[in-house]
Order: sequence, then structure tokens, then C-alpha cells
Amino acid sequence: MWFTLAEHAVITAGEHDTGHGDHHTSTGLSNNKLGMWLFLGSECLLFGGLISTYMLYRGRVGEGPRPSQVFDIPFTSVSSFVLLMSSLTMVLAVSAAHKGDDRNTNLWVTITALLGATFVGGQVYEFTAFYNEGMGFTTSLFSSSFYVLTGFHGVHVTVGIIMLMSIVGIMKRSKTPGSKAETVEMIGLYWHFVDVVWIIIFTLIYLVPA
Amino acid sequence: MRRMLTVGVGLSTSLVLAGCATNAPQDTFQPKGPNAQMIDDLQKPVFAVAGIIGVIVTVAVLYAIYKFRDRGQPIPEQTHGKPALEITLTIIPALILTVVGVFTFRTVFDLAKTSDTEMIINVTGQQWWWEYDYPVQNEYGITQPIITSGQLVIPVGTKVMLRQTSRDVIHSYWIPALNGKRDAVPGRVHLNRIEADEPGIYAGQCTEFCGLSHANMRMEAVALSKADFAKWVAGQLKPYTPPAENTLAKEGEAVFVNQCARCHQVNGMKRADGTAIIAAPDESVVSGAAPNLSHLMSRNTFAGAMFDLLNTSCRKDVWDADSESFGAKYLQGVSEDCLNQSDLRGWLRNAPEMKPMYVNPELLSSTGGKYRGMPYLGLTESDIEKLVAYLLTLK
Amino acid sequence: MAIIERPPSTEVATPATPSSSLGALKRPVSTTGWKSWVFTVDHKKLGIMYSATALFFFIVGGLEAVLIRLQLAAPNGKVLNADLYNQMFTMHATTMVFLFVMPMAAGLANYFIPLQIGARDVAFPRINAFGFWAFLFGGIFINLSWFMGGAADGGWFMYAPNSGPVFSPSHGIDFWTLGLQITGIASLTGAVNLITTVLNMRAPGMKLMRMPIFTWMQLVVQFLLLFAVPVITVALFLLSFQRNFGATFFDVASGADPLLWQHLFWIFGHPEVYILILPSFGVISEVLPVFSRKPLFGYPFVVFSGAAIGFVGWGVWAHHMFASGLGPVSVAVFSVATMAIAVPTGVKVVNWTMTLWGGKLEFTVAMKFAIGLIVLFTIGGLSGVTHSVAPSDTQQTDTYYIVAHFHYVLFGGAIFGLFSGFYYWWPKVFGKLLNEKLGTWNFWLMVIGMNMTFGPMHILGLQGQPRRMYVWTEQRAGEGFFNLGFWNTFASIGSLILTVGVLLFLINIVITARNGKIAPLDPWNARSLEWMTSNPPKEHNFDSIPTVSHLDEFFHRKYQEDANGQMVQVKTAEQVLKELEDNADAHIHMPSPSYWPIIIALGLPVIAFGMIYSIPISIVGGVIVLFGVYGWAIEPSTAPDDDFDPPTTTKDVVHVG
Repeated sequence: MWFTLAEHAVITAGEHDTGHGDHHTSTGLSNNKLGMWLFLGSECLLFGGLISTYMLYRGRVGEGPRPSQVFDIPFTSVSSFVLLMSSLTMVLAVSAAHKGDDRNTNLWVTITALLGATFVGGQVYEFTAFYNEGMGFTTSLFSSSFYVLTGFHGVHVTVGIIMLMSIVGIMKRSKTPGSKAETVEMIGLYWHFVDVVWIIIFTLIYLVPA
Repeated sequence: MRRMLTVGVGLSTSLVLAGCATNAPQDTFQPKGPNAQMIDDLQKPVFAVAGIIGVIVTVAVLYAIYKFRDRGQPIPEQTHGKPALEITLTIIPALILTVVGVFTFRTVFDLAKTSDTEMIINVTGQQWWWEYDYPVQNEYGITQPIITSGQLVIPVGTKVMLRQTSRDVIHSYWIPALNGKRDAVPGRVHLNRIEADEPGIYAGQCTEFCGLSHANMRMEAVALSKADFAKWVAGQLKPYTPPAENTLAKEGEAVFVNQCARCHQVNGMKRADGTAIIAAPDESVVSGAAPNLSHLMSRNTFAGAMFDLLNTSCRKDVWDADSESFGAKYLQGVSEDCLNQSDLRGWLRNAPEMKPMYVNPELLSSTGGKYRGMPYLGLTESDIEKLVAYLLTLK
Repeated sequence: MAIIERPPSTEVATPATPSSSLGALKRPVSTTGWKSWVFTVDHKKLGIMYSATALFFFIVGGLEAVLIRLQLAAPNGKVLNADLYNQMFTMHATTMVFLFVMPMAAGLANYFIPLQIGARDVAFPRINAFGFWAFLFGGIFINLSWFMGGAADGGWFMYAPNSGPVFSPSHGIDFWTLGLQITGIASLTGAVNLITTVLNMRAPGMKLMRMPIFTWMQLVVQFLLLFAVPVITVALFLLSFQRNFGATFFDVASGADPLLWQHLFWIFGHPEVYILILPSFGVISEVLPVFSRKPLFGYPFVVFSGAAIGFVGWGVWAHHMFASGLGPVSVAVFSVATMAIAVPTGVKVVNWTMTLWGGKLEFTVAMKFAIGLIVLFTIGGLSGVTHSVAPSDTQQTDTYYIVAHFHYVLFGGAIFGLFSGFYYWWPKVFGKLLNEKLGTWNFWLMVIGMNMTFGPMHILGLQGQPRRMYVWTEQRAGEGFFNLGFWNTFASIGSLILTVGVLLFLINIVITARNGKIAPLDPWNARSLEWMTSNPPKEHNFDSIPTVSHLDEFFHRKYQEDANGQMVQVKTAEQVLKELEDNADAHIHMPSPSYWPIIIALGLPVIAFGMIYSIPISIVGGVIVLFGVYGWAIEPSTAPDDDFDPPTTTKDVVHVG
């Protein structure tokens, strides 16, 4: 998990800050944005592998509880809705950033981070509840693959929150307003990706019966 | 050019053939049954075509090297290619492969055919030996299940279905003369059809890497005429005859009960009080199984077919027998004169020294102390003497 | 560091102390000594470091191979015991695939892609540095297992359940799994970096179809890595969680399916095969035209067949599993798909041969290795076609026939291509020519050694000797003088000749470094952009970025058609270079060195170490990584203009990266 975290941080928080404005590029996309798109393409395969594993093993509960016995769909629906709303606030943040409006950018980025944190908090609560109902990490193939898939996603959200918080800090040090618009946009790309992945996970895990 | 080609192909083919071993027991080009024959019929032309193309390319490159070497000629025209030629040379291999593909498709499905199966044997792999379990099939005289190991015995001209699985890691069952290989995967049953045309003994090897003694996990398939097979079945179903009182073998039986019967089953063996002695290998071995030793001396090998039970000259006698006399020789089993004393005694003295296995207590923490393979038993020489005498009675 | 380049007159790079400390540490500023290497972000230095490290691992993997052949030289060999043998073949493959061929190709890519596309560095120089260090530390980490209770012993394919804690109780597989995660991060970051570089940083006029073919093949490779690495990442995570945290992903008793590992592994593993071979295809597609004095025959066909291999390579993974019991439908489909991939591969062989055809061939060592590749790879490719035929593969798979096949493809293909590249590009990188005479010995001993080693393995395999066996027995060796025993011994002797061949290369390096011939500007009469700069190139690669109007731009600047349609030289390489120098950019600010890449990379093995032995160590590693990321995030990639000495006005500075 640390590895993925390092990867994100390295790629997203790092190279954006050349501080010298736009370069000409052959595609017209900036290096940073193109790099982010490529990275997200790679992430699709990562989640593809994890989702496939889960789909293969979701019925293999052994002595442990079945999915339908532990899932609390109304609760998870609410936290999914929260995460979905954070994509909206992220859009508002990016739009403010492009206008050079650092105050509003800060505001929307902070709200996005808070919504994300709410989702992660919900996930922690959910994991605790499942654990108390006798579904530990090693209980069954279903439980292991469930925790690995949703856990990986949770780590991605957490990394996103760290990036959002960092950009707020970095923007406060920045002298010229609007200079971090591209960074905000890149974090936005990442954030939307993580949201979309959750929609897929939520549908496959919680809504489609095993 | 064409002559060069013919000569080239002919020369390389004969070179390759001359450079090969004769009578390699696991040769993949010596089919001895219809399944292996189907594969052979498919692969021979493919090898030939591949060989011809290889020679053409090599000759073309060598010719170009010779013809176009720098002899001070001017810088050539800067051509970027000839699309028509390119397309032609793309289509030709595509066509060849299409033909190969069609035949491949057909053979794959022909080989997968199972509806006309005549006999079923369950084959189970574990580190590092194979167990064969013949379910009741009255038409072959198998009125009770037969469990054996090391050598698979089948009747000739009979379509035998091997139902393969494993008790630990993945193994792969391969008797090249009879069919291609098929993995034995724990938790799954894979079907593998074999059939032998002639009586004889066919060698094989586990071909999926399965840990420490993968190299020592061998197998032999023994094909007997239908009459001989019936005799073999009858032999396997013979009730247990305890050794006569006051013989060395009788003392050996006692040692066996003390030292071996915890894991190794001998069907029909009873305690003094008349209760049956049932082995419980699952208490000591990770895979939960150890070879069933009933009628051990009807087999020619032991320890996962790593060692011969027959000494060198008797083994040669059986392996070199023609198909007429083979059955009779095989059914003789292992007599005292023919016994490979040194390997069998060495095995009883210290098995892990003769075959790498996981029996070191330091390595067993992850298995709760269970072995993978046969441990060192600390038998005395006199115990070994007695045991050998006893094992010789297990005909 | 701050560097000012004022080409062409001044070559002096002036370091300056950063005026302010951004982040936790001030920037490194050394331009000489070990610090200038350890903290560098220069793609050329990193390329050299990648290649040097890979060469070291090549020697390690080679020694492992020699031990394997010594063990198998005679029946019932006693050189290695079963346990050590299993570790040896596992680590031989792992080392050669992940620690030699991949990073060697990455080294060449790093060094030459920016030069070939007319860029001054890669898109993300610090990520580039991080990638190298992650690869180095990952490689060391995997090999640490030799000294900590034994290396991984499950084969490089690491099939479950044999890789589980019950069946492999040492920590070898833990080191292997986590070490490969670390090198995987290196590959992934490298892929993002190089794809962005190629797509975004080409010189004006260099359309995709004017790109040098080496860059093209590397682009395909990087896309394969981008999508293949995450798949193996998932598999390795599952295995780690099973071995270290008690999950049961591959434990059959808990209901797991062992084939899950095989699918995940080979979905990665088959594209991996093309990741290994395509860079070498790229190299020889550069070398053959140069020494044939004519363009690559059918450039677009080579490009598209490369891309086609890249695509179809995703649909053939199950041909590694024909004996796994997939069922006839899957087997038939994957069998035919595998045959399909032979077509674009065949196209390449045709194009190379046709490039030679009608040329004016000069047999330098680089050319010899390139031609060697055509023939040897063709043999490997054709044996590949024989086992795309699934039924016949069930006879051949897991025998020495397969070992022969992939060594012809990977040694005769990938490694010969890399060696061709060494001889071709050595003067570019080091300014000195490798000794051609010694190189010829190097080539012929490698050809003979490789054919003696791997050629007989065709026979061994077809006559029934399985792979991965620590001993073979005379009972199964057959009769006659040329029995399997003979060929085993023969192959072992061949491996020693091969070793001498490779040793000659190392000797050649030493001799060349001591008193090699200084390379002229254009020693090979080359065709592509990387030769349109000094040997070795300046830190900023090009004084001015050339505008490209041809495939083979450099050639077309030197040669033009005369009235009779005959190619004649109109300019020397020196004159071409002079034109670029005359238009030199005044001030070029290169990306500045940084501590952070190596610091972050250093945290990774610490985390991994903790996962095996004790979680608190992991937390220390995590803190190192976070510290590094923090420093990285607030440090600009190129130092601010006022850190440079003497100060320059922003107006006339060209910023790179």
C-alpha cells in the first residue's frame, strides 16, 4: 500500500512545479497532464485485476459470513453519495483555479478533502462493523478479496486527500495567484478517476447479488 | 537455388536425426498409442515446414551477406520498401498458419473426446509420487477398488480415462509415448485420455515444477494384454497372507506395524486381536497420503518411481522384453533374487538422504510439524533385515 | 545545482549555492565526483547507471547459469543440491529478465530516446532518477535473500500453491515478491515518463512516422509496461498478503483456485516477453540500415508490426497454460491467436533481410550482432510456431525444447540486439570506439557458445528431458553415442565458451577505457539525430534543437541526390554540427539535481524489509518515503533563475524539463 502511495505522490505532487509556465509540447497536452492520464490508464489494470479477483472469490465464504449477511447497503449508499458529491466540489475547485481565484479554489479543495475524509471515515466504520460481525481479513476468500479491493480503493482516496491538503498548503506559499491551476486540475483528474472506480466497485460488490 | 535448398533441408534433417539418441524412453516422436499418434501426425509436418522456412531465411541472409558486401559500390538507392512485396510476404505466412490452425483446431477437439471411454483410473499427484486408484469396474474384474503407486497398469487397446488431481501443489502427468501432458491441479479434476497399442512399459516424468524433488517424481505406464491385465487385477485383489510364524518375515511384519503402518497401508493386515490396521498418513504428512504398500512386490519401482525394485539385470530383462513375452515377465513381480537390495535398504536406513524431502524439523513450523516425504526412522540394521524379508512377501 | 550552459564557446557549467533552502535540504550542487552521479537527474548519466547496473546483474545471472550447467553436465550432478538448484534457476530467470534485459533496455531508452527525438531531457527528470534508484534497490533487495536464509525457490513463474508458506518456508519468496514490487514501480514510473517524453517532446517537424525506429519500439514497450506491470502488481500483492498476513488467495484448502495466479502472471508475463525483445528489434532496425547504407526496408511495416505485436501480445497469455486443463475451446482459440502473432513477427524478419538486400554492407561488430539476431531469432521464432500448435505443445511444454526456444529468442534475440547496441552506441556515450577485433572474437565466441549451449536443448527436449530438474538420470537418456547424456555435457561445454565470449566483452570495455581509439564525430556514417551532437553529448544534448524534415534526418543533411539520382555527400558531420552550434541557444537551464529521488527510493526496501521481519521497520521506511515526497513536492524541478551564477534575465533562458 505504501508503494502505491509513493507512486501517486511522486507522480502527482512532484513534477508539476517547474515554476516556469507552459512549455510547447507535441501533443498540446502538458507533460504533467499527459503523465497523469497515462498513470490512470495503468491504474485501470490494477483495479481490473483486483475486481476480477473479487468476482472470482465473492461466493467463497467458507465458514464466514456471506456478503448479504454483512453489507449495510443504505449506509454504503450514503457514503457513496458523499464521495460522488466530492467530484462535484472538485469540479468547482478546478473551475475556480482556472479563473485564478485562489480563495474559492482553497475553499472547494478543502470541502472536497472533507467529503473524501467522510467517505474514508465511513469505510473505517464499515470495516470495524464487519470485523465485529466475524468477518476478519483472513476469514474467507471472500473477506480477503473484499478487504484488499476496498482497502486499495480507500488508500487511493486517502492519497487523494493528502494531495488536496498539500495543494492548499502549497498555494498559500505561492506568490502569484492562479499559478497552481494545472496542479489542481491534475489532482482533479485523479480524484474523478477514484470516484468512477468506486461507482464500479459499489455496483459490483454491493448491488449485484453474488 | 532450389537445389541448394533441398540439399540444405536434407542435410540438416539427417544431421538432426543422426544427432539424436536411440530409444530415449521419453522421446516425443515415438508415439505408442492413438492419442500420441494424433499429436505426432500434426507436429511432424509443422516441424518440417518450420525447418524449411528456417533454411530459406538463413540462406537468404547468407546470400545477402555475400552478394551485397561492400566492394566499393556506390551508395545504394534510398528505397523505403516495396509494399506489394511486403504484403505478399505477409500473406504467405498467414496462409500457411491458417492451414496449420485448421488442423490444430481439429486435433484439439479430437484429443478432447471422452465419450467413448472404456476404463477409468483416478490419478492423484502429491510431493513426490503418484497414486493410482482403480474404482470398481466389474467388466475388468475390478470388484474392489485397487490402490497402487509408481506404475500405472492398463490393458492394451483400451481407451483409459485418467481423472487427475493433486493433494498439494500442481503436478503434471506425462507419458510421452501415450499422450501429451496434463496438469494435476489441487481442487480440480482434469481428464486425460491414454491408450496403448502394444504391451510394454512406457516412461514418464512429472513436468510441472513441484518443489524439492520434482526431478525425482517419475512414473511408468505398464500396458498388458487384456488377459495379462485380468491376471494383474486378480493379483491385486488377492487377500493378505501374513508371513509364516517364526520366520524373519514375521518379525519384519511386527517392525512394519510399529514403524511403517502409521502412514503406509497394507490392505488386510490385522493386529493380534483381529482388528484391522488402518494407516493415518494425514496425521504426519502434509499431503495426507503415503503409498499403499499392498502387493508392493508386484511393482518394479518405489519412492515415486525414483528407484527400481528390480536389480539392473532383471530390470533390463523386463524393459527389453518384446511385446509377446513382456506381460509374463512383468507379472512375475520382484523375487528375492531380482530385488534391488542396496537402494531399498538405503531407503529404509535414511530416506531423506536418498531423495530430497522436507523432513527437517526446522522447516516444518509452517506445516505444524507435518512432513513432506518420508522421514529418517532410525531403524537398526537388524530391523532393516527383517523389514526387507517382510516386504518381499507382499506379492 | 545551478548550471549555466552558454554554448558553444563556453563549456563551463558554473555551480552556485541555492539562495534559499526549499524543503528540508538545500539542493546538491556538485558537478563532479560521486555526488554528481548519485543526485543527478540527467537522463544520460541515469542511462549509464541503468546499463552499468544491468551489466553487473548480467554477470550475476550468468554465473547462476554456469552453475546450473555445471550441475547438469553429468548425470546425478553433485555441484548443487536440490534446494540450491531450485533457488538457482529461479534467480537466474528473475535476474536475467527483471534485472538485466529490462533495465538494460531501460538504460538505452533513457540515454537515446531524448537524443533521437531531439529533446534535451526526459519529461520528468526526477522521476527518472527515482526509477533508477528503485530498480537498483529492488534488485539488491531480491538478491539479499541469498544471505538471509535462501533465495526464492518457486521458479520465476512462481506458480501457486507451490509458492505458499507451507511449500516454501524460507523468506526467499518474500524477498522476491517485495523486491519485484519495487522494481515494478521503477518500470511503471519509467513507462509514464518515457511515453510522455516521446509523445510530447519531439523536435519540431518530427512527426510520429519520422521517429527513429528504436524510439518507436521503445514506445510500444513502454505502453506494454504501463498496462502489464499493474497486473503483476496485483498478483504479487495477493501473494504477499498470503505469505505475510495470513490471507488464503491461493490456498486450495480454503477454496482458492490456483489457476488465478497463472492467469494473472501470464497476462503480465506474455506482454513481458515482448517487453524484452522489442527494444532489441529497435536497436538492430537502427544498426542494419546504417551499415547497409540504405533506409530500413518498409519502415511503416516495421512500425505497425511492432504495434500489432504489442496489441496481439495481450491475447495470447494462455498459450503458457495449454497443459493446465483450460478446456478445448480456450486451448484452440489461444492456439490460433498465438499463430496470428507470428505474422507481424515474420514481417520484421523479412524487412531486416530486405534491408540488407541491395545494400553496401559493412560488417562492423554491431552489424555482426544484428545479423546474428536475424538468424538466431528466426530459429527461436520458428520453434515458437511449433508449440503454438497446442497439441504438440502438450508434448513440448516444460521440456528443454522450451528452454531452447526462449533462449534463442531472448539470448539470440534480445541479448544479441543489446550487444549490437553496445558496439554501435559506445562511441556516442563514451567518446571511444570499442575494439573491433576483440569485438569480433566476442561475437563469434558468443555465437558458437550460444548455439552449442541452447541448440542441443532442442534435442534434449524433444527426446523427453523435462526442465527444472536438478538431476537427470542415465535411465532416461537413451542409447547411442549421441544420447541425452552427450548433449547435456555438450551444452555445458557450450556454456563455458559462451562465458568466455561475454568475458571478452568485459575485457574490451577495460581495454577501451584505458587506451581505446578516440571516436570521430560520426564513426559509422549514421542516420539519426543522436549522432547530430558531440561524443559524448553535452549535458544539454543539442546547442539548438534541429528542425526535422525526414526520417533519417542526419543522413539527409549529409547526403543528397545529384542530377543523376545518385546519392552524394554534400556535407560532413562536422559541418552539420557547426550549423546547429551557430544557432545555439544562449542560456539553457537544465533540470537541477535533487536528493529526493534516492531518498524516496531508499525508503521502499526498508518498508519491504519490515513487511518480512517486523512492521515497525516498515513504519520507519514509510516515514523516509513521506519525508522524501514532502521535500520533492516543494522543490522545483529546475532551480529558480536567480540561483544561477551569473544571474540571467528570464527572457533569454531556455528551460528544460
